[in-house]
Parts: sequence; C-alpha cells; structure tokens
Amino acid sequence: MRVWQPGSHLSMQRGAQVEDWSWRRTARRVSTLARLAGRYKLRSTLAIASLLAATLVGLAPPYLAKLALDEGVSEGDLATLAVIVALFAAAGALSLATSAAQTYFTGWTGERILADLRNKLFRHLQRLSLGYYERNRAGVIISRLTNDVDALDQLVTDGVTTLIQNTLILVGSAIILFVLDWRLALATITVLPLMALATAAFRIYSSRAYRAVRERLGLVTATLAEDIAGIRVVQSFTRESANERHFREVNAHYRDANHRTVVTNGLYFPFVDFLASAATAIVLGYGGYLYFDGSVSAGTLLAFLLYLSNFFDPVQQLSQLYNTFLAAVAALDKIMDVLDEEPDVVDRPGARDLPRIEGDVRFDGVRFGYGEGAEVLHGIDLDVPAGTTVALVGHTGAGKSTIAKLLARFYEPRAGRITIDDVDLPDVTQESLRRQLGVVPQEGFLFAGTVHDNIAFGRPGATRAEVVDAAGTVGAHDFILRLEEGYETDLQERGGRLSLGQRQLIAFARALLADPRILVLDEATSSVDIGTERRIEHALRHLLADRTAFIIAHRLSTIRDADLIVVLEHGRIVEQGPHAELMARRGLYTALYGDWAAEVA
Amino acid sequence: MATAVPYRRTFFRLLGFLRPYKWSLLLSIVLAVAAQGASIALIRVTGRVIDEAIVPRDRDVLRLFIALILGLGLLKALLMVGRRFISGRQALGVEYDMRNGLYSHLLRLSFGFYDRHQTGQLMSRATVDLQAVRFFLGYGLIFFFQHVLTIVGVTAIMFWIEWRLALVPLAITPLLVALAYRYSRVSHPVLREVQQKMADVTTVAEENIVGVHVVKAFAQEPQEQRKFQDRSESVFDQSVLANRQRATYVPLLSFVPLLAQAAVLLAGGWMVVHERLTIGEFFEFNIFVTMLIMPLRMLGMWIGQAQRATASGERIFEILDEPEAIASRPGAGELPAGEGRVRFDGVSFAYGAGQPVLDGVDLEIEPGRNVAVIGHTGSGKTTLASLVPRFYDVTAGRVTIDGVDVRDVRLESLRRAIGIVAQDPFLFSATVRENIAFGAPEATDADVARAARLAQAHEFVAELPDGYETVIGERGITLSGGQRQRIAIARALIMNPRILILDDATASVDATTEARIRLGFREAMRGRTTLIIAHRLSTIALADEIVVLDAGRVAARGTHEELLATSDVYREIYEHGLLEREFAERVEARA
Repeated sequence: MRVWQPGSHLSMQRGAQVEDWSWRRTARRVSTLARLAGRYKLRSTLAIASLLAATLVGLAPPYLAKLALDEGVSEGDLATLAVIVALFAAAGALSLATSAAQTYFTGWTGERILADLRNKLFRHLQRLSLGYYERNRAGVIISRLTNDVDALDQLVTDGVTTLIQNTLILVGSAIILFVLDWRLALATITVLPLMALATAAFRIYSSRAYRAVRERLGLVTATLAEDIAGIRVVQSFTRESANERHFREVNAHYRDANHRTVVTNGLYFPFVDFLASAATAIVLGYGGYLYFDGSVSAGTLLAFLLYLSNFFDPVQQLSQLYNTFLAAVAALDKIMDVLDEEPDVVDRPGARDLPRIEGDVRFDGVRFGYGEGAEVLHGIDLDVPAGTTVALVGHTGAGKSTIAKLLARFYEPRAGRITIDDVDLPDVTQESLRRQLGVVPQEGFLFAGTVHDNIAFGRPGATRAEVVDAAGTVGAHDFILRLEEGYETDLQERGGRLSLGQRQLIAFARALLADPRILVLDEATSSVDIGTERRIEHALRHLLADRTAFIIAHRLSTIRDADLIVVLEHGRIVEQGPHAELMARRGLYTALYGDWAAEVA
Repeated sequence: MATAVPYRRTFFRLLGFLRPYKWSLLLSIVLAVAAQGASIALIRVTGRVIDEAIVPRDRDVLRLFIALILGLGLLKALLMVGRRFISGRQALGVEYDMRNGLYSHLLRLSFGFYDRHQTGQLMSRATVDLQAVRFFLGYGLIFFFQHVLTIVGVTAIMFWIEWRLALVPLAITPLLVALAYRYSRVSHPVLREVQQKMADVTTVAEENIVGVHVVKAFAQEPQEQRKFQDRSESVFDQSVLANRQRATYVPLLSFVPLLAQAAVLLAGGWMVVHERLTIGEFFEFNIFVTMLIMPLRMLGMWIGQAQRATASGERIFEILDEPEAIASRPGAGELPAGEGRVRFDGVSFAYGAGQPVLDGVDLEIEPGRNVAVIGHTGSGKTTLASLVPRFYDVTAGRVTIDGVDVRDVRLESLRRAIGIVAQDPFLFSATVRENIAFGAPEATDADVARAARLAQAHEFVAELPDGYETVIGERGITLSGGQRQRIAIARALIMNPRILILDDATASVDATTEARIRLGFREAMRGRTTLIIAHRLSTIALADEIVVLDAGRVAARGTHEELLATSDVYREIYEHGLLEREFAERVEARA
C-alpha cells in the first residue's frame, strides 16, 4: 500500500526525457549497471541461464500437443500418446523448476543491484559538501534516492526479463511455426504488422491520454491537499460552497481526461481480440486448404492455434516496456550526475587529526562569498580566547550564520585563514574538527527515532544514565518523563508533537552530551512560554560553561551575559567587546540599545 | 482485521455507490454475457470446422465456417467495445461521485476533527484508499463477474460436449483459485511491508538531506550511513522474501493448468481413438482449457482485491460517518445587525476529554474597543478567540454577539461577521487577487485594491510581476512573512467584518515592514471590535485595553501601566517573555 506523502503528486513521472543518446553516454550507462551486477557473477549468470532455459522450455508444450495428436491419436497409438503426454507433463515440470529459479535469481540480482546503488548513492551524497545541499532543493535530492531508484527498479527487476523473454518467445514461436509449415506461418504472421501498427498507435494515444489524466489527477490531489491544509481558512471565510463548486470542476476535468483513455482502451483491446479471431480464421481457412493437399497434419493446425497467443502477448508486453525503459534511462542519467558531483571541501592529502581543542579561535582577514556570488564577508578579524562566549549580533543577512559555517568548515574562505589553537583548519581532517564541535540549529532539528537516540545523536554509544544526565542538566528530563514512553518515545515526523521550546531543549541536551570543545548555537527566534524560557536560560548557562561558544543571539540576557559581543553590519565587524564596554563606547551598539530601552520604558 | 459482519456490511455499503448506475451496470453485464457467449461460440465453431469441413474435406462448408468465424469475431469485438465504453463511463462516474462526496464532507467537519487527524493521514484516505475502492467498484467487479461467467460457461459447455472429460479441468478449478487466492493473501502483507521499509529508507534519506548540517556538524556520517544501509538492507531482505513467494506461486499457477492440459491430451486422445470424441471436440477441449487459465488465476486475485477494497472502504466510511460536530441549528436565523458587542459568559472549554483550557471566563468587550489578550503558552488565548466564530463550541457558559448566543445563528452568517488573521496566515496557491477576495468572491477589483491599501499591501503587490494577478507560490514567487500577513489582513478586511480577530506572531520582519504591519493593524481595527492575541510590545501598544489570561481565567485587565503595577503575571510575561526577544529582534529587523 502506498503511503501518501506531501508533494508526491507533483513528483510523479511525467513522460521521461532522455537528453543524450551518444554512444559514450550509453556505454557509461551500461558499464555502470554492469559493474553493479558484476559483483554477483554467479547469481547473474544463473539468472540469465535460468531465464533462457525457462523461455525455451515454455515453447515446448504446443509442439508436444501436435505430436500427441499426429503420432498418438491419429495413428491410434496409445502407447506413444502416453509417452508424449508424459513428455508434455515433464516439460511442464521443467518449466516449473526453471521459471522458479529464473524468478528467484533475476529478482535477487535486481534487488541487490538496487540496494547497492542506493547505498552507494547515499554514501556519495554524504561526502558532498553543504554547498551542494544549498544549491539544490532538498526535494530534488531526495527524489534521486527514491523516485529515480524506483524508476530503475522497474527496469532492473522486470524490464530486462520481459525484454529477453518476450523477444525469445516471439522469435522462437515464429521459428517453430516456420519449421512446421512455412506457408501457413507466413499467412498467419500477416496479422502481426497490423497488430504492431495498432499497438504503436495505441501507445502513442494512450500515453498522451494518460499524461493528461496524471496531470489532472495531480490537480485534483493538489486541490484536495491544499484545501485540507487550509481548511481552517476555508471555514473561517465560509468558502465551503464555492470550494465545492471548484472541486467539482477540477474533478470533472479529470473525469473527462479519463474518458479518453476509456475510448482508446475500448477500441484497442477489442481490435486485438478481433485480430486473434482473424488469425484463427487464417489458420483454419488456409490451413484447412493445405490439409486437403495433405501438406499439413491436424496436429500442425492444433499447434498453430495454440501458438497464436505467443504472438499477441509479447507484442503488447514489449510495447509497454518502451515507457519503462525511457523512464529508467532518464533516472539512471540523473543518478549518474549525482555520482559525478565532487565535494567542494575535501580533506587535504596528509591532513592530520585535530588534537583535543583548547578552544582559541582566530579569524584572520577572512573573506567569503557563496559559489561565484558576491562577497558577503569582507575581512573578518576576530580573536576568541578559549572558553569565551561570543554573541553575534546584527541584522538579517549581516553574515552571522556565515561565520558559524566557516568555523565548522562547511565552506572554505576565499581569503584569510581560520585557526583553532593556532592550527589552520585545512590542515586537519573535517571529521576530527567536527567531532569536537557542537552545532545547535535554530529549529532544534529532530530525527525520527526515540528521544534517547536523538539526544545520543552525537555520541551513539552513550548509556541511558548519561542521556538522562544530559537531559536533566538542561531541564528536559521532566517533560520527557511525561511523554507516553519516556525516553523511548518515538518522535515521528521530526518531533511534530513536541513544542518548539521542548525541541530546543532536546537539541541542547544533544549538544551537551556530545561535549564539544566549541559550541555553535543559533538561538530560536520564536517566543516560548515563560517556564520554558527560564529553563532555556538555565540550560544555556550549563551548556556554555568551560567551552568556547559562538551564539547567533536572539535573547537579551544571552547578549548581555556574553563575554564578547560582535556587532556585524554588511559583512564587517563594526564593534566588539562585552556589554559594559560597548555601552561605555557610545557607538552603534549603545545607539541600538538606547533606542530600544527608551521605547520599552 | 474487522470482524465478519461489519466487514460484509461495509462491502454492501460500497456496492451502494453503484446504485445510480444500476441500468448501465445491467447493460454492461448483458453485453459481457453476450461477448462471452460469442467467445465460446467461436471455439465451438473451431471444433465444427475440423469435424465438418476439414476432416470431410469440404471446401464450401470450410468457406462458410471461416465467414462465420470472422463474423463472430467481429460481433464479439463490437460487444466488447460497447461493454468497455459503458462500464468505463460508469466507473468514472462512481469515482467522480465518491471524490465529490468525500470532499464535501471533509469541508464541513469541525476544527476538532482536524485537530485529531493529520493532513497526511486524511490525504492517504482520500487518495490511496479511494483509489483501491474505485478500482474495485469500477473495474474489479466487472472483471470478477466476467471471469466467473467464463468459468461457469466454459465448464458447462464442456460438460455438455463430454461430461467425463470435463471432470479433468473441473478438478483443477478449486486448486487454481485457492492457489491464486492464497498467493494474493500471503503476498499482500509482504508487499506492504516492502513499501513500509521503503518509507523508512525515505525517512532516513530525507532527514539526512534536510538535516544535513546537523549530521555534518556532529560528524555522524558513518553512523547515519550505517542506519541507511540497515534500512536499505531490510528493503532488500523483504523484497527477496516477496520475490521468493513469487518464485513459488507464479510458476505453480502456470504448472497446474498445464497438468490439466496434459490430462485432456491423454484422456481426450484415448477417447478419440475409441471414437467417443471427435477430432474437432478434441481441439475444442484443448482450447477451452487454455481459455480457463486466466480467469481462474484472476478470480483468486480479485477475491484478495475485494478484501482490500473493503478495508479501504471502511477507512473512507470512517470519515463519511464522522458527524458534522459544528453545524447550524435547524431553523437558526441570521445574526441580527449590531455594533459588535462580544460577551463571554462563564465560558469553560476543554479539548475532547482533556483538562479544561478555559475555566469560567467572564469577559465583555464593548463595541469598537481593541482588546489585547496576553498570557503564557497554553493559557487559552487562542482558544478564547476561536470560540467567537464557533470553531469550537463551549463546554459550559455561552458566547454572545450583540446579545445573541453564537450557537443560535446560522454558521455562515456568524462567520461572515468576523474577520480572522491567523498566526501563520495560510495563503492558497492562487492569484493575490483571489487570495484577498477569498471570502468575497464577488468583490470588484476596486474592492480588492481598497482592502489591500488599508492593509498596507497595495504597494508591494503592485511591484509583483503580474500585480494582483501574480500566482503565489508559482515560479519561485514566495512572499515574506510580513507580506503574507498583510495579504491576510486585506483578506479579512474585504469582508468588512463587525468583529476582528488578530494573531500577531510573525517571525522578525524588518523595521519598515513592522511599522507597516502596525499601520495595517491600526487601519483594520478602526470602528470594529477587535480581539488581538498579542505576542509583542508594539501590538500591545495598539490596544485600548489588555486582558491577561492565566490558567484558563481572566487574571487581570487594564492598561499597560496599570497592569505593570498590579499584575505579577503580566510583569513576568513582560520581562521574561517580551523583553527577552525584543532587542535582538529589533537589531535583526534593522534594514
């Protein structure tokens, strides 16, 4: 059962487009898949072997029926009949065994390839720098791992088998018919071009019709989703009747598009059925005429009648495959593009592990801009002794969070250098740096999983006692205990059930448990209730003790209590110092503070 | 799984959707029967051709029979076209009706219902479950019927030709149906599990992409990789399990009919040799057996389908059976004209069976006054405001507007008298104009522009690429929090409401915007009774009076100065809640 997901109606496969059909690209596609399959040589070989065997064995029964009629029944030779029927049953049994093997091995190999591809893709995505994630929309990246791998799934597990099997059946049956009687075979096969033509036309019309259906169904779903999400507004403004009218329209629109598929299906399938009747008429009419000559036997006629379905099914199946194939190639291309992407920030060869940090941080003439974009930091000089709490203050876009990101080396500065304990950041591995760094984002990002797992995120081995201790220190223990299953409560959908303040406290506990030497904290902007506000104040004090901290500050007490307030404006530091000092200086900070104090007083 | 009786009841309720289409249903059944008849006739004719034309070597009869085959083939095709057109139209009609019915009902369910149900869950029912039901009612039933018909017809005709030989395929019938049914039964949970495990993979993928900064910041890539790989491997394991089932059942489903064919070959051949069966009949039997295979297999599948559709139907009926908790009383009248005096009379309220959120609130708001409601999170401010437009009904006491209990007037006329600007205003992906005129679709362009001007939205709207015709959310056109809020104010003002409810919590906006929003608020409030749920100092400053809610009761009432002097709760909120955030917010807002 599919689970509805927000936006899923938008990401539905539209008629896939493959841009590049050059040989080089095609060869790369094949080799990418072959390399994945190559790791399972034995199973891949078995899959192909059993596929061939199953298809060939499957061709035998109609021919054996012919033999039974001609050699047994017509001759009145019951012993021979019994032998042939035994062979018939044996062929069935063999087919049973081979198709079981084929289904198992092709399925296994296909799924294995997909799982490997998924893992490989994920591993690769994790290597990519933050810049990649900021350049590309999250939905698009997610869809590489889900929709695109899915599209490939259809090809890898079903498509290849269908292709080989049906081609073999088509060719194999034709050969057998020609061997039985080439004239009758030729006559019978005349229906094939008609069939192929009708099928091609049907595919074109129906794929067009279905695209319209999908689009309009997408609109129905989008309307529904939006109106449910905005139901409170709809009811507040008493729009029920108007919305109902609109929905009926959209719904009718979709129904009308669907009518076209009813028409195409309603014409195509009966036409194919008629062709089958026509083929029967040819076999019996022309075959009967040949029978009068004595050039074909009754058994041949029976075999022809039984083989007929072998022509009709494969043509239909193969035509269906075309769309699957296009979608899969397009998906593979997108996946390969991701795999080709290189991380922006890489460890230098010979980068060493950063030893345990004391926490002296220095920015030295640091300039930075995102990608090719304009410079956003223009020469930042900042000296932060170990254990200092730094409050970054400034208007939106002044560069506060950019400074935090550079410190975590999510990006490299364009000029200047950042050192921790006099070690240049590019000289050490990213992992050893970030292991000693804790970042608390504004929203308090939570993962699906238990409260325990979320707190222990930065230190997966932590015991329950340690987790409880961290939660207790930041004042989260009480409300966690009030959740249905305490620390084992599953926080589905990224903690939708927790209030903002609670999420923030869990994020604090997570940072505290990871015990980073340097803390980077983006304070939540939204107001929370007084109790939580106090708790956060208290938790912060614990969190900040004994370590260097950079806070993108949103609370007055945080700013006032900071050892160092850094006032940023347009990518430059305009003032820095503790509250008292800045107030004494009577500069920008004093002005800002004074304005405000005057207004609230 | 539901117990048998409600299960069956649900099934028959589902069939009720077909009632408006009973004639077309009947007609498509008749056409299906006729087409099936033609199919059987075609095979019979095949046998006759062998016996009466080919074996006796009679060219004239052969020609006649060939013409008959083509004629029957054509007739059958035409019957099929008719059947498909009629039943297709009916299937779409059923789907259309079901969707409309569900949508209309969803529109009228109360806020309480939406508090209890997540959007995703409701959407699942309106899409996935509806799909299962409409597929079954639209196509499944017809196919099911057609397959039963084929099996019964073919079996009957075989009995009529030679009953002893007919016993052979009859023997496999239950076996095949049982096998197919069993496969459908065992595979469904496994396949659903595959989907579920896939959803787990998606969750991890999503988190790692949306929360990439957290993962990287804590250097937890290896751990997350392991997590992803574990989930990915369990998709693999589950898929292999599903695949193993497929490898077991699907070849068996082909093998069993092949055994029947072998038996027909042997026994039929023996009968031909002993002249109990003609060659032609031998042909017929061979073809009849192949004709049975598909329907027998599908029958088992359809039984499984029917069960799943019924389960889906049950989930849909759960919504359809949900009562419209808040509706106009029968015979309720219009809200009489008045100045907008709002009164809470000993109002208590609790969500569901939970703790009371409001506990005996008495509050009267004079017409035209602006009252700011303030309190801790959970103090009941938003709830208090929600009771005026009757988003919820009071548990005790009453809410009156100009002396009339809100429960005694028609819901529509009540809500039309109240304008609401919510905390995080929801805008629809429609044009700016449509969004502003949301509650007044008949409004003219001049009306829309006037409302926008009042709300201080006209200027920025005019700067959008297509002005008022700009579609929100399209081509990357996203509005800032402040802009959204001003559009929401315009949307409320265009209805010229007697009473206005404002919630001012937006994220920090720049200083000019903030001033504009304040100006918008001020214009909006002129001459109306206004209830402001206040989160910031600047908004409180707009109010004539402040009401402090604490633990579901009115704790204090008065002006800012009065309250600072008298109310501890107010002083605490002011100092720790408002002042704490105010400074940084103002610095950030400095544009």
